[in-house]
Amino acid sequence: MLSMNEISQVYRTELVETHALRELTLQVENGEFVAVTGPSGSGKTTFLNIAGLLEQASSGRYTLDGQDVSTLSDNQRSRIRNEKIGFIFQSFNLIPDLNIFDNVDVPLRYRGFNAAERRDRINQALTTVGLGSRMRHLPSQLSGGQQQRVAIARALAGDPVFLLADEPTGNLDSLMARQIMDLLEEINSAGTTIVMVTHDPELARRAHRNVQLLDGQLASPEPFVPIRTQQLNRPSA
Amino acid sequence: MEIRPILSAMTRNRTGSALVAAQIAITLTVVVNCTFMAVKRLEFIARPSGMDIDNIIVVRSFGFGGDYAHDASIAKDLETLRALPGVRAVTPSWNIPMSGGGSAMGRRASLDEDAPTFNANYYRVDEHAFAALGVKLLEGRNFRPEEIMRSDAENYSQTPPTIIVTKALADRAFPGKSALGEYLYDGLNKGSEIVGIIEHMYGAWVDWDDFDKVVWLPQRPPAPSASYLIRAEPGRRDELMPVVETTLERTNRQRLLRTNSLEEIVANSYEADRATAVLLVTAIVLLLTITCLGIVGLASFTVRQRTKQIGTRRAIGARRIDIIRYFLIENWLMTSIGIALGTGLAIGLNYLLATQFDVQRLDYGYLVGGMLALWILGFAAVANPARRAAKISPAIATRTV
Amino acid sequence: MFLYYLRLAKLSLSKQPMLTALMIAAIGIGIGACMTVTAYLYVLSSDPIPEKSAHLYAVRLDSWGADQPFSRDYPWEAPWQLTQRDSVALLESPIPVRQAAMRRAVYSAIPANDSVAPFFVSARMTGRDFFDMFQVPFLYGGPWSVDADKSALNTVVLSHATNEKLFGGENSVGREARLGSESFVVAGVMDRWQPTILFYDVNNGPMNDVEDVFLPWSIAGRKEIDGAGNTNCFKDELIETYWDMLESECVYNQFWAEIASSQDLEAYQVWLDTYTEGQKELGRFERPTNNRLSTVTEYMEIRGVAGDEAWVIMCIGVLFLIACMVNTIGLILARFVAKSPVIALRRALGASKAQIFRQHLVEVGLVGFAGGILGLGLSYAGLAGLRMILEEAERAARLRPELIAMTIAIAVLSAMLAGLYPTWRICRVSPASFLKTQ
Repeated sequence: MLSMNEISQVYRTELVETHALRELTLQVENGEFVAVTGPSGSGKTTFLNIAGLLEQASSGRYTLDGQDVSTLSDNQRSRIRNEKIGFIFQSFNLIPDLNIFDNVDVPLRYRGFNAAERRDRINQALTTVGLGSRMRHLPSQLSGGQQQRVAIARALAGDPVFLLADEPTGNLDSLMARQIMDLLEEINSAGTTIVMVTHDPELARRAHRNVQLLDGQLASPEPFVPIRTQQLNRPSA
Repeated sequence: MEIRPILSAMTRNRTGSALVAAQIAITLTVVVNCTFMAVKRLEFIARPSGMDIDNIIVVRSFGFGGDYAHDASIAKDLETLRALPGVRAVTPSWNIPMSGGGSAMGRRASLDEDAPTFNANYYRVDEHAFAALGVKLLEGRNFRPEEIMRSDAENYSQTPPTIIVTKALADRAFPGKSALGEYLYDGLNKGSEIVGIIEHMYGAWVDWDDFDKVVWLPQRPPAPSASYLIRAEPGRRDELMPVVETTLERTNRQRLLRTNSLEEIVANSYEADRATAVLLVTAIVLLLTITCLGIVGLASFTVRQRTKQIGTRRAIGARRIDIIRYFLIENWLMTSIGIALGTGLAIGLNYLLATQFDVQRLDYGYLVGGMLALWILGFAAVANPARRAAKISPAIATRTV
Repeated sequence: MFLYYLRLAKLSLSKQPMLTALMIAAIGIGIGACMTVTAYLYVLSSDPIPEKSAHLYAVRLDSWGADQPFSRDYPWEAPWQLTQRDSVALLESPIPVRQAAMRRAVYSAIPANDSVAPFFVSARMTGRDFFDMFQVPFLYGGPWSVDADKSALNTVVLSHATNEKLFGGENSVGREARLGSESFVVAGVMDRWQPTILFYDVNNGPMNDVEDVFLPWSIAGRKEIDGAGNTNCFKDELIETYWDMLESECVYNQFWAEIASSQDLEAYQVWLDTYTEGQKELGRFERPTNNRLSTVTEYMEIRGVAGDEAWVIMCIGVLFLIACMVNTIGLILARFVAKSPVIALRRALGASKAQIFRQHLVEVGLVGFAGGILGLGLSYAGLAGLRMILEEAERAARLRPELIAMTIAIAVLSAMLAGLYPTWRICRVSPASFLKTQ
């Protein structure tokens, strides 16, 4: 599904050169639920941006859904973000002026679906996250958890090949956080690949696999060992 | 508070600063040039005419019909008008000064055919003209009653034996000496002796170079039209106007009459100039308003954008006055750059207008005035947003926005 | 997608109403000021008789003295008007399809009905060809006869208003109208007719009303009339009487010729040059041959109908619009910068740069449209104001219908132009920025 091969990202300003990622290599298989963890400054955000095609890496090879995406034009990358990736952000990033329906509609508009198809997809996505009755509400009229559900509906509506979640529960209280994680697991069990970036080990534990970043590199030399086992220092079941 | 950190902040937001500067520059360019042109117009309109314009009534009489006897009609009219209470003086005249209609002639100061010709408007008036127009006799004498020629006189021409001229014409034709007793010659070398000099009055066309060159001929106007310049006692013009008209209507029905105040006629002649001045002033006011609002809008926006930053500054000890000063200095810098640019542009535009059209060269006092005005405008515009910025709570710094 | 963008634009604009109002006001006032002047100049410079103007020529001969040109400002130009004797001679040319010499005069009109007071009328002394040449519409009757021109008969064509005053609007053809001390037989009554620019005599006030009565020009050669137009003289000659003036080198007649083809035009030019060559042998026409044929619009331009003044104001108007646009650029930039997070989000969700660009161009276009509507209103107000302070602008300071769409178009285009840089900048917002909580 997602294959990164010796990805490096270097930021240069006049004075300093920052190596955000150093030859990162990572594979994510179809249907996996992978958590990427690491302390502040470990390169999580850069990883997220590159994985989500929001940024282009300085070097390395990135294949997504069988397609080499490391050297695409801005336009092509926009297209792939739109069609193949669903984003879930820590602060939900809903557009405050648009109601729920229109928020979910945003990526579908850029996809070029006709009105009927968009309506069906929005209805379905919002029903999936349990907000089918709130379509005309504005984001500010919803709780944080509900807002994040809308964001998830937005991510799902376009039938992406994988979801990219960035601290999806960071702005939520623990009850709501649990509900969101339940929802993500549900989505994953229905077959959608999920890559989640988080610094919270509790959260990471609910993923199938845990990848730890440190100084722009994988901290774990064995990326295929399931994280739960490793963390609890127990042999795998 | 140092200027350097403000400057470096500005260079990072180059476009925003450049736009404010550009706007100030264009505003200065337009405002300076418009003010200059408007003031020139107003000065042009306000030129002292030398005449008692406010108290003069003008009646134009146009005879028709077989029974109309021109000279007799004029004599009767004058007698009637001069007897009216409230009338100070009356002169007949063929044309009306400053009305945009009139006649001019060319005269030479010597018999030499190659001598230069001087142009002047001429008016056929009688010995009451000084009193009727309220102009001053500077030198020499007035016309004598017996000098005034009837329109059917044998020797009636544009070159009578005696004439009175304005000082402007006298000085032009006879520079450095008194024109009294000198002769002005027509193309056929017939001469008229200058017997009197008028201190100052204007001729027919307000935009004519020789507007102040005037000659009086001691003659009745030629048939069939005549105008009367009637000077009322101060303040009695408006009450006299209808009286004059009905009185003249009654004395002779074989003619048409048209009555106006000279004030109205002169205002009409300057109408286009006044309209131009109004347009220019409107442009100035509108542009200053727009620019001011634009700066207020941008400054308010900047304040909102920088809320967090300002809160942080306050948290680490900046006083309110420091915040205000920051915005004022920043704005002052942008304004000054704009003013520097605008000064060049204003001179350039004036150069363009002066070479392409009939516009005078810019008087640099206007530039200085414009600069001051825009500095003040800049301060006034940014004052309120700056005050609002100073009210931002230091507690903002600890909040996530 | 356009409708979607339009909806987003409306939403976005209603979010910061003050900033939006400022932008609309800036564009509106800029457009309003600029279009007020443009509309006025447009009328002053547009062709007043487009169907025929290519065939109508103002004829001028350089009859001026050797010493100096007629005009100090335009030394290459022939005098604006013609002498009496040249006008008479020109009427003999067989080449023009129609031609007319003309001048202005004043008369008193005395109604037959005693209860109506006599009144001033402005008169145009001209030939019968005048009416067909300038497509004058008639209500009753028509131009006078060829014979009336030849024999200087007392005949008259009345304007619609004059016929109302003298005959209560009845068909007065064949009746007698008293002008001054004489009677004139009414040949025709014009329908209402008032060109915005009095193009057939721009020397004597291009903003004047059409004259009240039209009389055969030949009458001026038979008896004294009260001429009422500009007269210019250069020669030292004795002019004491009306008859001296007719014989003099003074110019006060206008002359128009309708020429059918370009061959005829060339022939006519040759004919004129031959005529003036002949006159040179009589000691007249001391200057180099300089006979001019100008079309209606050419002549309006030569005589500066629009005037320097108007062009200066136009320059100011354009600068004014630019200032307003710079103002608008600043405001648009400010509002777009504020929108950066949402733009970044849209980019992350798959919007291409082009889509973001179009979305924001629609937004500034909408601002321009609103500004255009405001500008249109302000132009109407501005022109009404101009008519109030400038009487001669009464007919010309009007917004022609064809300018309405243009006003809106200019507003939308200038707003888009002003929005180009801010839009371009907003497109460059990285999709990765602003997504993280900061």
